[in-house]
Amino acid sequence: MIPGAHYDQRWWDDVHEGEELPRIDDEITYRRVVMNPATTWDYFPGHHDPEYARSQGQPTIYINTMHFMGFIDRVATTWAGPRSFIARRKMSMRRPIFAGDTMVGAGRVSRKYTDSGGATVRHLVELEVTVSNQRGELCAPATVILELPARGAG
Amino acid sequence: MGSSKAGGQIDVDDIGYEVPSGTYEEARALVGSTRPVRFGEVEVNAPMIRHYAAMVRDPNPGYWDREFAAQQWGEIVAPPGMLMTWLIPIEWQPAGGRPVPLLTAQVPLPGDTFLNASNDTELLEPIRVGDHLNVVEELTGVSEEKHTAAGRGHFVTTLSTYRREDGTVVARSTNVLFRFRAGGAP
Amino acid sequence: MSVRLAEGSYEDARAMIGTRAEVEFADHAVTWALIKYFCAMVQDSNASYWDPDFAEAQWGGIVSPPAMLLTWVMAPDWQPQSPEPKTLLLARIPLPDPTVISVETDTELFRPIRAGDWLNVEETLVDVSARKSTELGEGHFVTTEAVFRAGDGTPVARYRHVLFRYTPRKPAGQ
Repeated sequence: MIPGAHYDQRWWDDVHEGEELPRIDDEITYRRVVMNPATTWDYFPGHHDPEYARSQGQPTIYINTMHFMGFIDRVATTWAGPRSFIARRKMSMRRPIFAGDTMVGAGRVSRKYTDSGGATVRHLVELEVTVSNQRGELCAPATVILELPARGAG
Repeated sequence: MGSSKAGGQIDVDDIGYEVPSGTYEEARALVGSTRPVRFGEVEVNAPMIRHYAAMVRDPNPGYWDREFAAQQWGEIVAPPGMLMTWLIPIEWQPAGGRPVPLLTAQVPLPGDTFLNASNDTELLEPIRVGDHLNVVEELTGVSEEKHTAAGRGHFVTTLSTYRREDGTVVARSTNVLFRFRAGGAP
Repeated sequence: MSVRLAEGSYEDARAMIGTRAEVEFADHAVTWALIKYFCAMVQDSNASYWDPDFAEAQWGGIVSPPAMLLTWVMAPDWQPQSPEPKTLLLARIPLPDPTVISVETDTELFRPIRAGDWLNVEETLVDVSARKSTELGEGHFVTTEAVFRAGDGTPVARYRHVLFRYTPRKPAGQ
């Protein structure tokens, strides 16, 4: 086991619709924004060059699409556990998260269901996840569909 | 983003790790000491090699051409300039805490910032994709206070011995870093 | 500092709808080292990304965060063999506006993506909207769809991306 890694697992059977996900706050420094290109290889200058960001009408550098995605997935699987499979994530980016902002991740279970269409029955939950900033402004609403392990499943 | 630096201390939030404050005498007392071996957190790998070679614009086929590299070196090889990168701890771990920096940043001295001054690296073996490196660092010198155009401070010399997982020494590197207080002439 | 985006008219862009770009093959396999750096950036402690024993038992090996899909097919911005870096289809769509921002994504994963997988991507231009005006500026909403496949040709993911290609309302700061 890796110290600090998340192993707790939520089972499909125990989930109920309306359940709230634990909130996650994350302060985004300049350094974290610059880590976007370093880790994703996305060198679009809005993510590392303040002059370019200003030319775009933005106050400063801001995180990229993949950082939004990774944070939303983290909010989902921190609640759901590492045996969950992210089957789908739909996300809108309404407002950027800038260097100096805090990302606030929250969510709730909107649907719990099964899908018998394939070779095996899949036990699924649909989550509504939001990323807001420290002013409470909605930055990225998302819908995430997770497959969870179920007790009594094969 | 601003931080106040009290009494020459380096702000841990700026740098990302603890850099101790201290006196020249405290630093001198550590000369000759060696840190326990540290292991790289990633294996030498081709995408990071490419990313670095692209940054430097180095077309050496040892970094890009699998067939050539297999014939020449056995595997794609890492640019020697990446040596330190393989041993720099990742910014964050699930267990939390701050990463432990290179020895040169662990020396207690006055001076709230640093600039690297020189590096002398000897490569004994090619560093190949799949290698897992470790380093043993020794503090070999701390100079008296010097005044340079950058400011007032001390030159810190460290000797790093890099090994592969099978114990073979792959490189030795002597690095001199200037730890100083900013502010031009004395 | 600017970004190379193809220049042209809305009609030029509309004419490209339905165009399927050449399949782009990854230069590198899904690599655990890159997964670690990404997860460190996002501060995601999911054991699937950090614990090889757990990941082996659960998924058959370390898995990639779904957010890294594009990274697995991204090339560095310089290569010795070609003067121009590979670009995503978006950059080749001719429009009059100088910059772009991501607006919406819809990602569907069909199977876990594991360290060692070699991916390829095939992008299609799905739509270019008429000129719109938003808070940020004036421009067009561009929709692309990408299919990611593994080395054996099996689709592993589908990715729909809407971007706003625009001329800023406030070009130099606030």
